[in-house]
Amino acid sequence: MSRMHASIATLLAAVAMTAACADATKPPVTQPPSAPPSAGSGGSGAGSTRPAGSGDITPPRPPDAPVVAVPSDPSISADPLAGQPPDVINKNSPLKPVFFAYDSDQLDDLGRQALTEDAQVLKKYPSWKISIEGHSDERGTAEYNLALGERRALSARSFLLSLGVTADRCSTVSYGKEFPFDPGHDETAWKNNRRAHLVVTANK
Amino acid sequence: MMTRRVALVGCLVTGILVAARPSFEAGVSAAPYLQQTASEVTVNMPTGGKPPRVAIPAAIGLGADTELSAAAGVVLATLWADLNFEEEFDLVSRDAVAKLPVGDSLDTLPYDRLAELGADFVTFTRITRVETGFKVELQLIGVRGAAAKKIGFEGNYAACAIQTPRACAHLIADDMHKRVRHLDGLAQTRLAFTSDRDQERMTGRFVAGSQGKEIYIADYDGENQRRITANQSLNLAPSWGPDGRTLAYVSYVAQSPDIFVRDVFEARLPTRPAAGTTQMENTLPAFSPDGSKIAFSSTRAGNWDIWVVNRDGSGLRNLTNNSVGSVINNAPTWSPTGAQIAFTSNRTGSNQIYMMTAEGTGLEKLTSDPGVDRPTWSPAPYNDIAYTSGVQSGHDINLFDVSTRQVRVLTSGLGDNGSPTFAPNGRHIAFVTSRWGKDQVAIIDRKGNIQLKVTAQGANTFPNWSRTPRQ
Repeated sequence: MSRMHASIATLLAAVAMTAACADATKPPVTQPPSAPPSAGSGGSGAGSTRPAGSGDITPPRPPDAPVVAVPSDPSISADPLAGQPPDVINKNSPLKPVFFAYDSDQLDDLGRQALTEDAQVLKKYPSWKISIEGHSDERGTAEYNLALGERRALSARSFLLSLGVTADRCSTVSYGKEFPFDPGHDETAWKNNRRAHLVVTANK
Repeated sequence: MMTRRVALVGCLVTGILVAARPSFEAGVSAAPYLQQTASEVTVNMPTGGKPPRVAIPAAIGLGADTELSAAAGVVLATLWADLNFEEEFDLVSRDAVAKLPVGDSLDTLPYDRLAELGADFVTFTRITRVETGFKVELQLIGVRGAAAKKIGFEGNYAACAIQTPRACAHLIADDMHKRVRHLDGLAQTRLAFTSDRDQERMTGRFVAGSQGKEIYIADYDGENQRRITANQSLNLAPSWGPDGRTLAYVSYVAQSPDIFVRDVFEARLPTRPAAGTTQMENTLPAFSPDGSKIAFSSTRAGNWDIWVVNRDGSGLRNLTNNSVGSVINNAPTWSPTGAQIAFTSNRTGSNQIYMMTAEGTGLEKLTSDPGVDRPTWSPAPYNDIAYTSGVQSGHDINLFDVSTRQVRVLTSGLGDNGSPTFAPNGRHIAFVTSRWGKDQVAIIDRKGNIQLKVTAQGANTFPNWSRTPRQ
């Protein structure tokens, strides 16, 4: 029981740290890879942040609490992602998406930075396989966007490969404008939808 | 005005009704098309020039048979709509005809009242039960002048089923268009398209809450919409073969998009002639006019190219051999004879329409629009290409005349319009429009007038128009 609390506490701390480090100049922080608001399906749309005090989660220990000895057995890990199936991993949004300018498949500095961090995550979890989804905003035509999406996915994949991620771990697929992340009809939504989105497809 | 006497003796196949077959996917059932019983038929009325003005009163011979009367009502209402759609018969309004007394013989038809309504011809229709269902005996009778009380057209349709009166009417409409106006009618054609209406959880995509899109077909008028795929994946861009029952479409059911081909009326697994793998994308198939080949877009050679493959999967060939990664060649469409292929390419910086031979030679740039997509080449005898025009939201459908190189704008800036597909007689275009809210499939004529809204449920895209199905 205490190990579970330690794991959740670690997770909460990690989430808090990530939020604190968010850079205001980055592209709009993406939603977790969950259902757009128009989707009707149920619980699998939960985001990665969990409200404090919900359910049976105990809050982090106060700073002056005595340190609890961590068991030395290496097979017991505090990492909540280890050994999890893809659906669970993806709920934690471990891999950052990459955003593109209109009608472009070119990476910018922010995109390369995000992919560099993704490459580090992929190095940390060598058992993960990923799919890179190419997406576009709604303004172009459906047919051209099917092709542009693939160009974006390939662009991201090429950069990952240049950082040493092996080819057999990264597949690409284009969804064109068929699955927008943001159902809005303004530049904020469009920017959010012009992306290469990375999802874990296997953890073996 | 020329009149002709045409006699056809025993030249049509025996009338049979295709029996319902078991389906293996949700909603798919038998091909509901009918065959005409051989009979002697005549046409003795104007076959060209101004459309004849026709009144369609209620049928006789129904007695007290309420079930037959209901079916008869549907037959004649559907016939009216089919003829009205094509504008080759000028129809007297149904309300005006409903006010006339019903005549039960040639002598007792209300000719004076019909003449007041400007009718040239009136239908005289007897509908009676037969063992397999019911039969329709329909005549077009002249209303005034030299043609008065004379039979201008006669047709006997002996294989109608009580459960499918619309199919009966569609057969009659096509027969009337063919024999009176020398026109290939559309009444028995279908549209295939993509729909998100089922909102089912998509399998194979690891983004929570994804919902798939499936392929649907419908009668050209939007009736009898039924689902063709049931794989809970993303299914797009159907393309009919010329037999009106073979359908190619794109599915992501195997992770990467590939082209699947199957008969929509038979319970058999699809084939995959483009032999896709997870290392490539195959998309936007287009059947050649003779049905022997499929053109499509593919990244199998590394970049977006136009490829052609034979229906059986042999003869895979790259027509554009693109060596520039940023160039996208896409969206092929065949010329009326199948000798050429038009497609889109952004090689000059914006998407334009190009054409080449079906072997990939003789490349020629056709458009200089701000931007284009999804060309669809008309069937013979027309030779024009409808396409999506524009760069951002608010696209319109344009028509490019291949002979004169002139461009005409068909839609008028209402909503976002795109993904056109020609009717098999070239006189109408189905397309996607957002003018009523969500994307819906609609039909315009060659003047750009909206004639029909085909879909209403969910968002519907990627339409493609079939020919009349062959047996």
